[in-house]
Amino acid sequence: MQFTITGNFASVIHGLNTNHLTDVVIQRSKRMILDTLGVGLLGTSTEVCQKVKQYSKIYSSDISSTIWGHLDFRLPPLYAAFVNGVAVHSMDFDDTWHPATHPSGAVLPAVMALSEAFPQKKKVSGLDLLLAFNVGIEVQGRLLRFSSEARNIPKRFHPPTVVGTMGSAAACAKLLALNQMKCKNTLAIAASYAGAPLANAATQTKPLHIGNAAKHGLEAACLASQGLQGNNQILDMESGIGAFYTDYNPQTLPTLQSYPWLLDQQDVAIKRFPAHLGTHWVADAASSVRRKLVENSGNLLPLETIEKVTVKVPEVKYVNRPSPNSEHEARHSFQFVACSTLLDGSMSIQSFASENIHRPALQELLCKTQLEHPSDNKPSFESLYCEVTVVLRDGNTISDRCNTFYGHWRKPLTKGDLEKKFQSNASEVLPAEAIEGIIETVYNLEKVEDCSVLNTFLSGQSARLLPEKLHVEHSNS
Amino acid sequence: MGAAQFRQIFLQPLQSNRSSQFPPPRGHWRSHLQCKGDAHREGTDLVCRRVSKLLSGTDSYSDPFCRAAARGDFFSVSHSNDDILSCVYKWISDSPALVVARSAPEETVTSSFASFIHAVRPEHLSKIVRYRSKRMILDSIGVGLVGSTTHVFDIALKYCLELYSSVAVSNVYGKPGVKLSPTLAAFTNGVATHSMDFDDTWHPATHPSGAVLPALLAASQMLPPNSKPNGLDFLLAFNVGLEVQGRLMHFSTEAHNIPKRFHPPSVVGTMGSAAATAKLLCLNMTQCTHALGIAASLAGAPMANAATQAKPLHIGNATRLGFEAALLAARGMEANPFILDDISGCSGFSAFYSIYQPRSLSTPNEHHEFLLEKQDIAFKRFPAHLGMHWVVDAALSVRNLFINYAGSFSPSLIRTIVLKVPVSKYINRPFPNSEHEARHSFQFNACTALLDGEVGLSSFTESSIHRQELRELLHKVVVEHPEDNVANFDKMYGEVAVLLKSGDVLTGKCDTFYGHWRKPLSRESLLKKFRSNASHVLPEEKVETIITMVDNLENLSDSSHLACSL
Repeated sequence: MQFTITGNFASVIHGLNTNHLTDVVIQRSKRMILDTLGVGLLGTSTEVCQKVKQYSKIYSSDISSTIWGHLDFRLPPLYAAFVNGVAVHSMDFDDTWHPATHPSGAVLPAVMALSEAFPQKKKVSGLDLLLAFNVGIEVQGRLLRFSSEARNIPKRFHPPTVVGTMGSAAACAKLLALNQMKCKNTLAIAASYAGAPLANAATQTKPLHIGNAAKHGLEAACLASQGLQGNNQILDMESGIGAFYTDYNPQTLPTLQSYPWLLDQQDVAIKRFPAHLGTHWVADAASSVRRKLVENSGNLLPLETIEKVTVKVPEVKYVNRPSPNSEHEARHSFQFVACSTLLDGSMSIQSFASENIHRPALQELLCKTQLEHPSDNKPSFESLYCEVTVVLRDGNTISDRCNTFYGHWRKPLTKGDLEKKFQSNASEVLPAEAIEGIIETVYNLEKVEDCSVLNTFLSGQSARLLPEKLHVEHSNS
Repeated sequence: MGAAQFRQIFLQPLQSNRSSQFPPPRGHWRSHLQCKGDAHREGTDLVCRRVSKLLSGTDSYSDPFCRAAARGDFFSVSHSNDDILSCVYKWISDSPALVVARSAPEETVTSSFASFIHAVRPEHLSKIVRYRSKRMILDSIGVGLVGSTTHVFDIALKYCLELYSSVAVSNVYGKPGVKLSPTLAAFTNGVATHSMDFDDTWHPATHPSGAVLPALLAASQMLPPNSKPNGLDFLLAFNVGLEVQGRLMHFSTEAHNIPKRFHPPSVVGTMGSAAATAKLLCLNMTQCTHALGIAASLAGAPMANAATQAKPLHIGNATRLGFEAALLAARGMEANPFILDDISGCSGFSAFYSIYQPRSLSTPNEHHEFLLEKQDIAFKRFPAHLGMHWVVDAALSVRNLFINYAGSFSPSLIRTIVLKVPVSKYINRPFPNSEHEARHSFQFNACTALLDGEVGLSSFTESSIHRQELRELLHKVVVEHPEDNVANFDKMYGEVAVLLKSGDVLTGKCDTFYGHWRKPLSRESLLKKFRSNASHVLPEEKVETIITMVDNLENLSDSSHLACSL
C-alpha cells in the first residue's frame, strides 16, 4: 500500500494510547482544560452566547449533553459542542498556542459533549478524555507546522477554523475509538468543513468559528463512524488541506515509541484578560509606563499633560483599530488596550464594558495614540514585543518595553493565579461547591473513572455527588 | 499633519455656520493630505476621494458628517465635532485597508449585495428567468428524489435521525412520513441532490440549484401558517440565491475554469443559500449583510473530496449552513459587514481566491437583469460530472461509426482509444474503483458509452464498474490534452479517436452535448428525466402533482405545499 501522510496521521491517531502521555503533557493539558472551562463558564453569560443558545434550542433530542452553567437546559451533543465552543471563545479569553491558534476551545467542548452521548454502560474515564483531548491538540500543532505562513499571525483564514476543525475531528475519532480507516475518513470529512476567512475577527461571528470547529469536527467523526468516506490523502494534497495555504509542505508524525508531543516542547499562553493575545504585551508595557507616570501624582494619570502615545507593535491589520466601537472590536485593538491600561493600571473583564469603551477620557487618549511597526518586530507570538512611549507636553518621554508578558509560555501563570482566574470566571455562573468540584476533578482527571462527574459539575450541580462519583484517593493532591 | 491643522481646515466653517455653502478650501486639504509624501500616496489618494465625496455630496459640511455619523461610518456615533475631526484624522493616519473598512456602507460591494437581496421583487423576474428556474427546480427535485435511494444519503439520514428526532417539521425527499428539523432536512435533501452528481451545472462552474432549493423547501415548512411565502415569493428567493452565486463566480477569473482548490458549491453555494433564505425569511438589509458574513465563515471545502462520498456533503452543507447563517442573522448575530470587499491583510470572502475583484450589484429599480437570463444552465442526462457529457456524446458517435464499419462493436479490433480532453486532474481517473470515482472519470464514461451505447444510472453500479470487458477497454485508453481544449464548460470539447488494429481510425468529436446550455433539453426530455428519477420513490400520481405544481409555481398560494408533496 502507498505510504501517505494522511494514512500516517490516521495510524498515529489510532495508535496513540494513554501510556504515551507524559507528566508534563498531562500537567499542561489539565491547566488548559481548567482554564478553558472557566473561560467557557464565564462566556455563557455573554450576548453572543445567549444568541447561539436561542438558535440551538430549535433542536432537541433524546440524547443530550450538558450546556455549561445550565441545570435545566440540555442540547443534542452536536449543538452542545457548538454552544459551549462559542462560550469558550465568546470573549477571546481562551488559550493561544504557537504557531497561532486557540487549541483547547475547538477540542474540549466536542469531547465533553461526545462523552455524554455514549450508552449508559460505557463510561468514559478521565484518562480517555485526556488522551482524546491531547490527540486533538497534537493534530492542530502538527498541521500548523505544515506551512511557514502559519508561523506568523494569520492574514487569510482564521487558524482555529482550519486546524481546530481537524483537531476536534481527531479528538472525537479518538474518543469514539474509530478504526484507522475511519480515522482517515474523519480527517477527510472534517477538511470539507474547515476554513473561515479572517475578516470575521472582531465580530460576533469569530466565536462561532470555535463553536463550529468543535461542532463540525464532532460531526465529521460521527459521519465517518457511520461509514462515510472522503479522500484518503486529504493531508497530502494541495487541493486537500493544502487549499488553505500558499506554501503547504506536509510532514509525517514521529513514531509512537516515546512519542514527542508538541505540547511537551511548546506550552500555551494563558490570557489574563479577555482580548487578542497580542494586546497582552501592550498591557504589560503600558502598565509599567503608567507606574512611572503616576509616581508623583498620587496614583492619578495626569491625562492633560500627555501629548502623544506611541505603541510599537508588529503590523497586524486586524488588531490595529484606532477607535473600536464594540466590545469585539475593543478586544482586537492594540490602541484600546494601551489607553485603557494607561488610564486604569490594568486590564479586566470590566474594561470591555460599553461605558468604559466610550468614556471621554479614553476617547481623548485614543486620539493621541499612534502605532508604529518597527521592522524587527515580527508578527509572531514567539518573538513579538511591545514598546509604549508617552510624550509629555513638557517634552519628557516615558517609555517601557515588554518582551514576555505574564501568562506567555515563557512566563507561565502560577498555579495560584490560574486557579484565581478560574474561580473568578466560574463564579459568574456556578455555585462554589461546583467550582471546587471541577478544580478537584480536573486536577485528578487521570484517576477519574467516569468523567461524567465533570459534566455534572459543569451543569451547576453541587459537590454532594463528589464522594460517590469521584473515585480518587485523597492523598497528596 | 497634526490634529490642530485639521481643526482649522475642516471645522472652522462648520462651527461658524452649520448651513453655509461648501467653501473653497477643497483644494487646500487635498494638498495638505498629499504632503504626507509618496510613500503614502495610494492611501492618501483614497482618503482624498472619500473625503471629497463626502464633502461634495451636499452643500454643507454638517449634513454629510452627521449622516455619516448616524450610519455609524465614523468610529463614534457621537455627533460631536471632535469625534468627526479625529475620525478624519485617523483616516489619514490609518492604513488603506482600514480606510476601506471605514468607507460608507452604500459604497461597498457587500452592501450592494445586501440591498439587492433585500430590494429585489417578484416583478423583476422575467419570463425567461421563471421558465428556466422552474425547469431547474423540477430537475433538482427529481435528481434529489432519485438520490434518496443512495448509500451516502442513507448515511446522512441515519445520522440526523439518530441525533434529532423531534422538532421535525420539514420533509425529506422520498421518505413520506419522515420529518426532520428544517436545517437538517435541508442538509439531507442537499446531499440527496448531489449524491450522484446528477444536478445542474452553471457557467462559471458550480451546481447552483442544489445549494438553494433544499433550504427554501425546508424553510417554507418552518414558517408559521400566517406567514407562508407564496409560490412567487419562493421563486424570487430561489433566484436571489442563484443570482448571488453567479455574481460571486464573476469575482475571480480563476473561477471561470474548472476549479482546482475549493469546490465552488461549497464556496458560492453557501452564500447563495444564505441569500435565498434571507430573502424567503424577509430579513432586513442589515440582517442580509450579516447573513452573508456569517455564511462566509461556513464556506469552503477543498476539491480533494471530489469523487468521494464527502462531495455530496458539500451541497448538503452549502444549503444547510447558508440557511443556518440566515437563521443566526435573523436572531441578531453580527459578522463583518465588508465580507465581500477586498480587504488586504485581513481576508474576507477573497480568502477563497488568489485573484479577486469584487464588483457591485446594481440595486434593482424597475428592471434587473438576472445572470440566468444571459446564461442558461446545463442539465445532465446521466449522473456524472458535466465534463463526461462531451466525451460520452463523442464516444457514442464513434460507436455508430464502428458498427457501420464492422457490423457490431467488437473491442477485440481496438488497439488504442485516444481521448482528447482538457487538463483537469480530478476527472482524469484511468481505473475508477468506486461509483463516485467512476462519475469523475473521462476514461470510464468513454468506455462505458462505447461498450453499452449509453450511460445511465445502472452504469455506475458496482458490477458494471468492475466487469471484465470494461476493465479491458480501460487498459486501451490514452488521454491527450490538446492546447486548444481548455478546462472551461463554455469552451471545452470532447474528442474520441479509436485506433483499430487494422490501422483505420474512427473519430468522433462533441462541441456541445445535448443538455448543455447551447443545446438545451426539450421539455419532453426534461419531463422524461424527472419522471424516471421521481418514480424510483414516488407513485405516479404524486409525480404528476409535482410537475403541475412546479409548472404553476407563481400561482401557488402557499409554497410549503410543494415541500409537503415530496
